[in-house]
Amino acid sequence: MGAFNPPIRAGFWALSGLLLLGALVLPFVLAPFHLRLAQQILLFGGMAIGWSLLGGFTSYWSFGHTAFFGLGAFSAGLLSQQLGPEMSVALRLLIGLVFAVVLTLIAAVAIAGPVLKLRGIYFAIAMLAFAEILGEISKTFDFFQGTSGFPLPTLSALGLQKVQLFYFLFLLLFVANVVVFVWLRRSRLGIGLICIGQDEDTAAMLGIPTERYKLVAFVLSAVLTAIGGVLYGYSLGFISSGSVFRIDISLNLILYSMLGGIGTVVGPFVGAAIMIILTQVVLGDLLDLHMMLTGTVLIAMVILAPKGLMGLLHKAWSRRRAAAGEARA
Amino acid sequence: MAGISRRSALGAMGASIIGSAALGIRRASAQSGGVIYFGGSLGMSGRYAETGLNIRHGYETAIKFLNEEMGGVEIGGKTYRFELAIVDDASDPARATALIQRQIDKDMSFFLGSYGSNIVLPCAGITEAAGKLTVQVGASADQIFQQGYRNIFGFFPRASRAWATSVEFFKSLEPKPKKVSIIATNDAFSKLNTQAAAAGCTGIGLEVLDLLQLPEQVSDASSALATIRARTPDILITTTVDQNSLVIVRQMIATDTNVPLLYQFLGPQLPAYRESLGSKATGVIMQLPWDSRLAFSDPIFRDSKSYVAYYNKNNSRPLSYHTVGASACITTYVEAMRKAGSLDPAKVRAALAATDITTAFGPVKFSPEGDGDPILMGAKIGQVQNGEVQVVFPTEVKTANLIYPTSNWSTK
Amino acid sequence: MNGTLLLQTLVDGLILGGIFSLSAVGFSLIFGVLGVVNLAHGIFILGGAYLGLALKAALGLDPLAAIPIVFVVVSVIGAALHQTLVSAAVRRGSLMTSLLITFGISLIVRDILILIFGPDIHSLASVWLLNTFHVGGVVVDGARATALIASLALLGLLSLVLYRMKVGRAIRATAQQSFAAGLCGVDAGRVHTLTFGVSAGFAGASGIVIGMINPFSPFDDAYWTLNAFVTVVLGGVGSPVGALLGGLLLGEISTLSSQYIGSRYPNVFIFGALFLMLIVRPNGLLGNAYKGSV
Repeated sequence: MGAFNPPIRAGFWALSGLLLLGALVLPFVLAPFHLRLAQQILLFGGMAIGWSLLGGFTSYWSFGHTAFFGLGAFSAGLLSQQLGPEMSVALRLLIGLVFAVVLTLIAAVAIAGPVLKLRGIYFAIAMLAFAEILGEISKTFDFFQGTSGFPLPTLSALGLQKVQLFYFLFLLLFVANVVVFVWLRRSRLGIGLICIGQDEDTAAMLGIPTERYKLVAFVLSAVLTAIGGVLYGYSLGFISSGSVFRIDISLNLILYSMLGGIGTVVGPFVGAAIMIILTQVVLGDLLDLHMMLTGTVLIAMVILAPKGLMGLLHKAWSRRRAAAGEARA
Repeated sequence: MAGISRRSALGAMGASIIGSAALGIRRASAQSGGVIYFGGSLGMSGRYAETGLNIRHGYETAIKFLNEEMGGVEIGGKTYRFELAIVDDASDPARATALIQRQIDKDMSFFLGSYGSNIVLPCAGITEAAGKLTVQVGASADQIFQQGYRNIFGFFPRASRAWATSVEFFKSLEPKPKKVSIIATNDAFSKLNTQAAAAGCTGIGLEVLDLLQLPEQVSDASSALATIRARTPDILITTTVDQNSLVIVRQMIATDTNVPLLYQFLGPQLPAYRESLGSKATGVIMQLPWDSRLAFSDPIFRDSKSYVAYYNKNNSRPLSYHTVGASACITTYVEAMRKAGSLDPAKVRAALAATDITTAFGPVKFSPEGDGDPILMGAKIGQVQNGEVQVVFPTEVKTANLIYPTSNWSTK
Repeated sequence: MNGTLLLQTLVDGLILGGIFSLSAVGFSLIFGVLGVVNLAHGIFILGGAYLGLALKAALGLDPLAAIPIVFVVVSVIGAALHQTLVSAAVRRGSLMTSLLITFGISLIVRDILILIFGPDIHSLASVWLLNTFHVGGVVVDGARATALIASLALLGLLSLVLYRMKVGRAIRATAQQSFAAGLCGVDAGRVHTLTFGVSAGFAGASGIVIGMINPFSPFDDAYWTLNAFVTVVLGGVGSPVGALLGGLLLGEISTLSSQYIGSRYPNVFIFGALFLMLIVRPNGLLGNAYKGSV
């Protein structure tokens, strides 16, 4: 694959290393509230990157990723309950993670076949329906304890506060999402997915195994989202249908990606950072108007910057280069 | 969009966002000078926004009275004014916990809980861990008071004990009812109350005929009502929130589904409910945590009558029992602070646990786990009669005689 | 199986379905003609209900009589929103961005409704609501039966416009082949705005009908938008008959599953039906009224 991908520049590694170092130091300098913000940005920004594994590459916009989020949370949480208090919380979390991943894998593979045959808006609605079904099931059958919710034990390790510990866990997941995204982009699979996103029928005609590729992206995206759900449940200490099967989680993943720039690796993170800071910090105190302002920001971004912030930066950058080019000419 | 280029519009937006963010981050510390902040969140958007607004008005009224009519309160030799710092949690536990944490970071120590057990429970965990206090009028799930938390207090008895008065009421009915059916919705609040109600009824020998569970948002109860028509109980209980209760009762009227006694847990307390049904509302039973005719003395407002007068002078929104309860939360806090003579959370906590006062809302006393004392703070039973709410049980405090059995819808 | 109970359940489903059909027809039209999923659909419905409330309070107008006024007002608002925001979004981004823009619109309008009317529940009452009546052993909910009649009347009116009037022909032509329609002299942009406006108007009118049946609050919009989704996917995109069929199917699924499987299951079955239909026949029973298969 080195053949058509340029090697990653040393500068890129240096920058990433620096950022990672800074991220590792943050929990020891930030106030708990700001740390919580950082947690949310890492978690939802990371999951937005995971969402774009499918949505950014193939243009299959899933409007139901909260299905996997909730599936992960509930499967790990219920298993934790079953395993009982004799087992340590960390071990229960680990086993729960494995269980959630396996379950999500099965579910994703099961619906991928029929659902990925749909295009565009129909795929979006089908995923929305899937998410609603799972949410309803969790609420309807008492076994899931979805309506009342159930508590999860507190995870503590390495002498860290809970807030700091989960920051690191979310950071880990974020890095995992980034790594998968970048690896995918540089792989043959990724090229194929981008082709599918541009013109699926032509891609199929040219011999790209579209069904298989879409399946892989779908499952990857689902599993990463489910892991996010497991960690989120443990960080909240409480799982209920109303907190993990939420349509606004699905919508936010899309929104963050759109805001930052779909198809870029930095975009979803930037989008998440902006929206979370906006809604929690700036609008957090505006008791009456915050929904209206969120809606206004949403509309403004869609109309003024449909390619997201990264798209804007890209345009500004290329405009600068063109101007420099003209000046030289 | 003509005339304004996209770039300048974006630039302006970005600048205003950064500007307001900068303003937001620079805020004064919470316990400066002589001001005490009450922190907390309420669901101001979402299904419980109506109640959230009622509660908020209660807080604001009490604080306004303390600041303006009394010029502040003297605690431990120093005079303090009060400020409310409530945020909107949009009924999202993630948002609620983050915003509460922010307030804790700003050194707020005294919290007022949100509405809804699924929000109050995680938030209680956070305030407990930080050693801060919560007094709330919005959640009564048993779970909250079974975690071993010492810093949370609730104004209602826990859900499993909240039906004591109602069960006594059923026992007192003549002719003796034999069968009861319950319509519930698929949410935590309804489920908890259904369990408690069913257990209480079975305990006094009533047969629970049918337990019908509807989806969380009720738009159509036709199948449940068909079952009720086929197997009619003596008492029909609906443990539903106001909107759902109204849908159910309106459909009952429209399908001519009659029962000797209809008990709607939430709903008839609202003026909008009674207005919507008109004369047909007569006979519907409800839980009545508070009624303006029940006279209580109050250490801050003097008595419930003066409270009601002050509230109506300063608010156009009609009074609901949540409003009075919310004001009483503040009263309880202030009394505990006065008694403790300090703002140290541990001392205030001890004073709260020992609270035994009467407020405009009624007596306030907490059980060892923090929920309301089931006898002193249990609800009364009310009945709609000619568009007004009357207290019909316990008989010592009744304002009108009970109508039982109630007549058919068509005759009302 | 009790025959009367079955009949009762079927009748209840029919009546419920009528309301669903009416509430979905605007959504169906926008989807069919513009290809846009209007997430602000539910808020248009509530807007109509609240407008009816305001007219009743200000002019003492009976809600059923207020339907024409509400239709016009909400149409104009809808058309204006399309002209300014929605078409811009579609032009700039893909059709998917229209989802986000309409979502943003719904947030804003919802907050406006809360600011004006408060978060409380309200209901509309009309003197023309029928009383309960009995047919055989079946009890018919008079209020909902009135709603069904109103729904059928409005759906019939829409069919009349679409299939018998010139403007309806222009709408259908734009939906089928907008380029070719343009060659015939139809301004696609104007037709889109008109369609969006008319559909919003129908949503608003259905809001009055819905408001007479069920108490409403500003937070119900997601419920009605979701219902519209399901109705359209089940019945077919674009045509009033498709909306009628989808709505009736939705109503029957709701009451039958509620009665015979359990009163808490209807939502599971409704979304299950939606999912199934998408897998098997995404364009719904009647298919897309204007285009071929997806």
